[in-house]
Amino acid sequence: MSGVRYRAESADELVRRPLDDLHLIYHRRSGQTHLVASPVPEMLDALAGQALDADGLCALLSQDYDLEDPQQAHAELTAHLDMLDALGLVRRV
Amino acid sequence: MRHVISLKIGPARFRIGSAWRAPIAQLTALYADYPRDEDIADFTVRLDPAGFGRRWVRPSARIAGDHMLPDAAPMALRHGLLAAEMGMNLQMALGWRRHLLLHASSAEKNGRALVMTGESGSGKSTLAAMLGERGWRFMGDEFALLDMVSGDVLPFPRLVSLKNSAIDVVREGVGDTTRFGPLMHATPKGDICHLVPPRDAIARMDEGAKPALLLFPRYGHAPDMRPVGKGETFMRLTQASTNYVACGEAGFHALHSFVDRVPSVALDYGDGAQAVEMVERLWSDLP
Repeated sequence: MSGVRYRAESADELVRRPLDDLHLIYHRRSGQTHLVASPVPEMLDALAGQALDADGLCALLSQDYDLEDPQQAHAELTAHLDMLDALGLVRRV
Repeated sequence: MRHVISLKIGPARFRIGSAWRAPIAQLTALYADYPRDEDIADFTVRLDPAGFGRRWVRPSARIAGDHMLPDAAPMALRHGLLAAEMGMNLQMALGWRRHLLLHASSAEKNGRALVMTGESGSGKSTLAAMLGERGWRFMGDEFALLDMVSGDVLPFPRLVSLKNSAIDVVREGVGDTTRFGPLMHATPKGDICHLVPPRDAIARMDEGAKPALLLFPRYGHAPDMRPVGKGETFMRLTQASTNYVACGEAGFHALHSFVDRVPSVALDYGDGAQAVEMVERLWSDLP
């Protein structure tokens, strides 16, 4: 059964800048600045232009990254999705 | 207002009024070399009696102006000069939008600017004042104005606000005693004495400089220097800016560009002379 699906905020609304190993994000819609670390930039890339649930996101990211313990990775990605949804950086579809 | 003075400090124009003569007379003397700008002021500051009769009985000033803190406690008239300075700082902190405003001191050498930020007591004012007497151009002890288009740091060389032990430290390096204002004891910020910046700092108050080094000084520690990561620097500068949110995307780009280009160092020091030596060493090692 598929879970809640998420899509990243439109790229036009996000100004992203790398800063050492962190990422700065200026969210035009809210005027807020976020300083984020991996895996958030990778999640936003994966959810740009397509909606995925946590399972789909986990599967997609595992193609390029070693997620080690899949169950733990799934739980962490779900928590990140909740947080990013609350910030308006991803939206439920 | 009975007593008024108009002043230009860097790009900002102030009109300061007072119910009493003394604070304006002190400002007039200490800002004697500054432009007397009668154009429309950016900000108005008023020192009003704190209540009925308080112009005469235990005279006490309430800091008022275009931007106010509702809970600010009134100050004794003998601290009126400090109240006026605090009022001017408050207007800048709450109302300035033309530049990204960093709560930082700054000094310039060979066209490049050193910016120092930190909490009150970190020594950023004292260090900027000391450098200003040692071959650097003093640019400001309270606010560094970051131009959001050019990336330059612009001066805001108001009077240097020296606190407690810093007063004697800086006195040793300044021969001209007429540059010091009255010593105000037991103010809400401790003992305070204002210092008029060097003449060239005032004459060149419209001249910016490219930022070349950011320091986070910390007074009262064993000497140490360590680089500060860009992420931490960005976060600390958003906290050190009173108008970062108000500047919106332009502020974001300006601050990112600043943090990305300017090396950032935490500097612990035990006394002013030691800090100056450490700053000069860091500066000479810059590419």
